[in-house]
Parts: sequence; C-alpha cells; structure tokens
Amino acid sequence: MVARRPSVEGIELINIARQARRTVSQLQASNWNFEKFPEVFAKNPAADVLAKEIVHVHDGQTMTRIGRLYMGGVGTTFNLMGPIPSDSQFKVAPPTALEEVNRQTGSRGLRDIKEFRALGKAQPVEFFNYSLFYGMEDLVFWALVHDAGVFPSGLEHMARHFAAGNLIQNSLYSPSTPSRSKKAPAVMFSVGLNLTFPSKVVEWMDKPLYGGLVKETIHVESLLTPKPSRVSHPYLPLANEGKVKLDGTSYYLKRFIGITPKEGLRGPGVPEEGKPV
Amino acid sequence: MRQFAQSDPHVFDLYVRGSVPKVLEGSLIVAASRRNKDKSVFSRWHDSQADLFRIDLSAGKPGRIRAHLLTTDPSGKDIGVSNPHGYLTQPNHGINVQGNSVWVTNLLFGAPLEIDLKQWKPRRVLRYVETDADRPQLSGTSHFAWSLDNRYAYFHQSLLEKESDSNDVRAAQLRLIEMDTKTLGERVWEIVPPPDDPALETANFHSAFYFEEAGRGYVGLLRTGARLETLAPHNDSREHMVRPMPASTIWIVEIDRAASTLKASTLPDVEQLGGLALSHLDVDSSGGNGFVLFANYKQADVAEETHGKNIYGENPEEIREQYSGMTVEALNYGMVIRYERRDGRTSLRTFSRPYDPGNTSQGHSWLPINIEIDSSGQHLFCTFSGFRPRLLPRHVAKAYPGLTVKPSAIRYVPPLLLRFNASTLEVDHDRKRGHLSYAEPIAMTVVGNKAESYVCTFSPEIGLRVYPADDLSSMVCHAVAPEFMNWGETHFRPDPAHMQFTER
Repeated sequence: MVARRPSVEGIELINIARQARRTVSQLQASNWNFEKFPEVFAKNPAADVLAKEIVHVHDGQTMTRIGRLYMGGVGTTFNLMGPIPSDSQFKVAPPTALEEVNRQTGSRGLRDIKEFRALGKAQPVEFFNYSLFYGMEDLVFWALVHDAGVFPSGLEHMARHFAAGNLIQNSLYSPSTPSRSKKAPAVMFSVGLNLTFPSKVVEWMDKPLYGGLVKETIHVESLLTPKPSRVSHPYLPLANEGKVKLDGTSYYLKRFIGITPKEGLRGPGVPEEGKPV
Repeated sequence: MRQFAQSDPHVFDLYVRGSVPKVLEGSLIVAASRRNKDKSVFSRWHDSQADLFRIDLSAGKPGRIRAHLLTTDPSGKDIGVSNPHGYLTQPNHGINVQGNSVWVTNLLFGAPLEIDLKQWKPRRVLRYVETDADRPQLSGTSHFAWSLDNRYAYFHQSLLEKESDSNDVRAAQLRLIEMDTKTLGERVWEIVPPPDDPALETANFHSAFYFEEAGRGYVGLLRTGARLETLAPHNDSREHMVRPMPASTIWIVEIDRAASTLKASTLPDVEQLGGLALSHLDVDSSGGNGFVLFANYKQADVAEETHGKNIYGENPEEIREQYSGMTVEALNYGMVIRYERRDGRTSLRTFSRPYDPGNTSQGHSWLPINIEIDSSGQHLFCTFSGFRPRLLPRHVAKAYPGLTVKPSAIRYVPPLLLRFNASTLEVDHDRKRGHLSYAEPIAMTVVGNKAESYVCTFSPEIGLRVYPADDLSSMVCHAVAPEFMNWGETHFRPDPAHMQFTER
C-alpha cells in the first residue's frame, strides 16, 4: 500500500493518533464494517510485489526464509505487510544465500526469466520503521495514522492470521526516484529479508494480495534440505534439482520457477473496494 | 497418466500449533483430487484422479495429527471389477460414513467406492446399472440420505446416455437404492419421474435426505439439473453453445417395500424459487413427523467448466488464475433455504445476499458449498466459496442473460464460513465477529456435542483449522503438512469441497 503520511511532526501526531484510536474503537463497535468510515478504505492503491527470489532452508526443526523482493509502486512511500508465526525471528539482512545458491547452480536467479528482465532496472530500497501488529486494532490504527488505508477483503486475510496466533510484520520503504504514473511505476528491490521460525514441516508463503498495480508475481524459490525431499511447491513447476553448500553445510536443492496470480484480483476497469462500481 | 508414485508418502504427520480438543478424537475424511501444474492441460474436475485422506486426530497439546493417503484406482481393477466404456469410479467429491465403512463419490459420474475405514483400503464399488456402448457412464447421488437410526443409506443411481444430434446427455434407468449398512444387503427400486418434472436430460441428484410422516418413509432427492452437452470432456478449450439449466426441484419418493417401482412427486414451492443447482443439504428429520431441510443453490452452471474467454473478454493465456477445466464460477450470488414440513404445516425461509465491502459482518451467499447443523440443532454453519470474476467464462454467462452479475459491478468476493440461527435462518450476529470467518477453506465440518462443539476447515495448502463453534475469530488448532499439497512434481491438489468426521 501507499503510505500517504509516512511520518508526522510530534504535536500533530497527538491529534492524528487520538482520532485514529477513536475511529478504531468505533469500527470495532460496528463489527469492523467500513460503511460509516470511508476514510479507512485505501485510496487509489498502486503498489505490489512484482517478483520474489527466496531460499527456503528446512532442517527438520526450523524453517528459514532468505529472500529479496522486487516491488512496484506509484507514490513516494509504501508499506509491505506479511504474516509471520509469532515465534519468528525477523531480520533485514543482505541475502547472501541467494547469490551463493545462484553461483553454485550457474543461475542468474530472477534475471533468467524474460518477464523479470522486462521490468527494467530496479532501484535499491531499504526497509525502515519496522513494526509488528498483534491484532486488527493495531493494523487499522497504523493504517489510519499513516493514511495507508486497508481493504475489507484484504483485512480478512490478515484477520485469519491473527485468528491463528500469527503476527503481521510491517515495514516502510521509499524509492529515491518515485513514480507518479501507473504506466511507469517505480521498480524497487529490497536489501534482503530473513525470517526464521520453528516448524517440523516445510511451510510455503501465502500468495500476495492484489495491490492495484500488477496481477502476477514472478517467483524463483529454492528449497534446501539436508536430506532429499519429496516436498514440492503448491503451484510452481520444478525447474531443477541439485546439491549446494551453504555456510559449510551440504543441502539438497529443489528450485521452482514460475509466475503466479495475486489473490483478490478483479476485472479490468473495475475500481477497488470503497469506490462505487 | 501415471496414477501411483511409489515415492509418494502414504502416511505422514502434520505440524500442529495449538491443541487438539478431546471431542475431536477420531478421523476426518477428505476426498481430494489432482490438477496438473501445466495450465495448458484441459482436465475436468469430475475426471481428476482421486486421492483420499484419512486424518487421524489424537487429543492433547499439541496432540497428534497423522494423515493416511489412499490413491484410488478408477478402473476398479484393484478390487476385481471394471467398466469397459470408461472409468468405474472416480471418488473425488462426496463422503458418506457409517461404522467402519466410508462411501466416497464423484460430483456427477461413476459409482461410489466403498472403503474399509480402519484398514483404509477399497472394498467394493456400488454399481446397480450396467453400462454399454451407448450408455457408457453412470451418475449417482454424491451425498446419501440416512434413515432416522442411521442404519439404512439411500441414494440414486442411473445410466448416462450419450448425446445425439437431437438430444443432450440424458439419464436412463433411474434407480433408488436402499443399503443396509449392518448387513450390507440392498434393495433397488425403479424411479418414475414426477409428471411435472419429467426431463431426463437434467435428472441428476447431488444430495438426498430421508424423513418419515405418519409412519411412512420418504426419500427426498435434490434434482440439481446439470445439463451436459457432451458426455466426454472437450477435445480442446474452445467456447461452445451452452444450454441453460432449468430451475432446481426436489423429488419426493415414498418407500414402498411391496413395490418395484416408486413414483416421484415434486416438493411444492421449490421450483418457484427459480434457483439453479440445488446441491447440498442437512436435515433434521428427528421425531418422525416431517423434516426441517436446509439446502443451498449454487447459482452456477455446474455442468460447465472454466475455459475460453472470460466475461471481460480476456484470453485464457492472460488469466493466470485459470486452470482450464475447473468447475465453473457462480453466475451470481446463491441462496440457502430452510424448508420446514412438520405436522402437515410447511414454511420456507431463504438467505440470499451479495457481498458488500462496507458491511462485511453481514456475510454473503456467493457459491454456497457446505451446510451443517451443529449437535444442539440451534446453529447452522455454511461455507461459501466466494467469487473470482475473471474465472467466469463468457460463453457460460451468455446462456444466462438475466441472471449473470454485471461484470463491471462485481469485484473479488472472499470465501466465507458463516454461522446462522437454525430456527430463523438469520445470520447469528456476534458483536465480536465470532459468527464468521472470511478467507476460509470451503471444506468444513462441525464436530462435538451439545456441551462442546468445534468447526473444522481444511485445504491442502492452508491445512486444518479448528475453531470453537461459538467463536470463529480464534483457532484452537492449526495443523499443516506439505505432503497434502502435491502429487509428485507435476500435480497439485486443489481445495476439496467436503470433509467428514467420524469418532474413533
């Protein structure tokens, strides 16, 4: 989403936060129905994950995701939200594992895919002002303070994660050269994300929700396991298998490459929730 | 297609977060299918290879959940039977359980497969009509009716006659079967269609229910009305002319043990509702003095599959979410009905609602699937599949000009699990939003007793979720396993429609 008010001056914040808290209380009292609170709907959103290159390492007890995201957006500041298990460790760190796996497999990663190359040159962006949301109230409060807005159907996907005891991780990012046109959105790439959580099984990520800009996501996802694995990706076809060494440990590798649709797509010309059809 | 992969795991543990409540000690049965990851492959849901899961739950924190996979043989050869004209069984949809037996069915085609629950092995195929070259396939009730003591199962079976230049596919040799689940004895009757609903082209029945009145037994058959232009799957994914389905009805057949033929009549007031694809039900026929029937209309042409251009004129290659041959999307929002017939009096209530993004706590009725009363009889739980507008084919929508939603006036509608007051069929509103859960898998079942009740939902990708029935806003258990998601490297398992629980 576009965060239209990424930061505010201290005194102003007091009023904004007070008003946001009031709106959240009223929303909660009205069973999270937005009808009387049109200010909560995100306005003219245009930000999406365009591509992701991820290494998933599963050692039988722990799941580690090391990844780099490519985002597209129209505006100056955006936020990226995603569910994480509540016992996760989340870090922003250079994804050296991606380069290492690509080097050992003779791959250029996402750059091997023509649809990705067509996106053009991406600007590096840094994530900042990380936050964790523990419930709907936190998420909507943050969205109101920063004028980012939410969509009811998207919020419901997040609500399911809260119901499961997961958290929502949220980060801001800004391109150095912003775009004002949906025809030529700014293409950005993150420094790198690293997520670790306990799990005895391989767990894949959810499909990204549609953010009003791009209907598809380009993936290069590698699964690394100490023993050969029968696990496959739910949608992506297997591209290749092999063995790699990472930090002195040998892993079996399965690489899945493809393009998947976003969740929550609508037809061409149909406006987002909050606008009349 | 290779059906069996020796390397595929047949027993595996789920990773459990939370706890498994004591009342869930037992097994959940799920009928899954496979879909090729390659979107260029056209494949109907009906024909997709069935993979059946028995998911055993042991109570505790976190407890233990272990899945057992049974890959079925559609030819029937593994149990010594066959159909030279097509597959014999492809049980990837409905689940019927009694004692140590499970009968799994297709959406429309093939015969039920009987499975030994404990051994998790196929036992026999229930076939009561003989196929031939002109009638190469058969159809039957996916969800059986049960006698008041649950001893007898009732279902329909008939042949499907190939289409000709002048006729669509049509049913032949309509039969009603009563199966004694104690002795496995059977009784078969011929069914004569009601005079006011005689068309055999649309005589298919997705679900059945049983009730008694004045000491007499009756079976109700939901006449879904799927109309097939061709029996075989399309050779390619070109658009074609679709002949619209008629409004659904309910046939009532009185059980007469002295007769060999039973004459059906239609249940009054149902056809007048004008709904399409009356499919799933739950019934309270306790007391033997009539029934309260809960059933849903899909408002979808369930005989068609997703292929060709969509309602926006987009080509299939542009629609990444499309898998050619999946069951079709709804044409518009559907309907749930509550039909009560007790002591000679009848009443009919309906629930039908579009999705309003500004009032999501109201729920919606887009593509209703599961429908189940809880043990107390006070609440009804329903799942709705929602709507993905880009998946509605243009050539299907064209056949229903007055019914189809306006493409420019509809967005994505998220799937929904919704709790109703069973007496009034009104949404059971809870100020803390514990009465609904969006973004939920559609396979659902209610487990428990009057004191303690849980709602379980499942999909291969999302896993098993367990909620207290009185609060759908917080799970007590979430369990996942990647082995559910795929068959080998080539196929994934799409979300199944149904799930059934059986106590240990």
